[in-house]
Amino acid sequence: MIQLTEESKSGWCVVGVRGRADAESADALEAALRSAVEGHPKVAADLAGLDYISSAGLRALIQAARAAQSKGVELAFCSPTASVKKVFDMSGLQQILKVQGDMPC
Amino acid sequence: MGNSDIPYESDFCLNGDIRELERLAGEVARFCEQHPGLADTEFQLNLVLEELFVNAVRHGGCDGMTNAACVRMRYDNGAVHVAFSDRGAPFDLTKAPEADIHAPLAGRRRGGLGIHLVRQIMRGVTYRREDGWNVLNMEHAVEQRQETL
Repeated sequence: MIQLTEESKSGWCVVGVRGRADAESADALEAALRSAVEGHPKVAADLAGLDYISSAGLRALIQAARAAQSKGVELAFCSPTASVKKVFDMSGLQQILKVQGDMPC
Repeated sequence: MGNSDIPYESDFCLNGDIRELERLAGEVARFCEQHPGLADTEFQLNLVLEELFVNAVRHGGCDGMTNAACVRMRYDNGAVHVAFSDRGAPFDLTKAPEADIHAPLAGRRRGGLGIHLVRQIMRGVTYRREDGWNVLNMEHAVEQRQETL
């Protein structure tokens, strides 16, 4: 189960991600992030409520980051839990995604 | 099925349907609740078992099968021992190519990341094909001073 929200805050489009980013929910996660990237110059994914992520969820983030890169959109992945951050580390995503501890807005 | 030689504390099968992930997560949670000290291991076990199960369903031909995959787990001597079996096409995970986790964003290809995570988290992974089942045995060392993951 994943919960996705979108709100505007101080010039940023904030996508809230809560719950599990697994093989069942990855498509919804990618769609939400892509939609935000399509319509805004600056997008922040708030991962503070993301309890779990698998490779399917990672791929959703990678695809969204690719879309952002191709459009020149700034996409930041913010406030991941220690568990999620460790999966980023194991996968080499820390080096290719913009991951930051705090929200930019 | 080939992993019946060792007694396990958790023993369940999953149908070949991605929606079974919710039940898988519930079974892993129940197993970890039985053992003080495994709370932080739940994430890792979930991750490994999801990768193996999803691989069998989406790439191994298990989609739609009844009792397509079976999982057994036990905890002793500071390690969780896991046996994962599936009725998919023969696939030896131990011989799968390494994912390139150093590739740039544009060069990231689909596939391989899940197996990479399994290899990162589990040790002593062995594979055999037995009676039409892929059988993986592996273990995860539980650190005395738990890290969060």
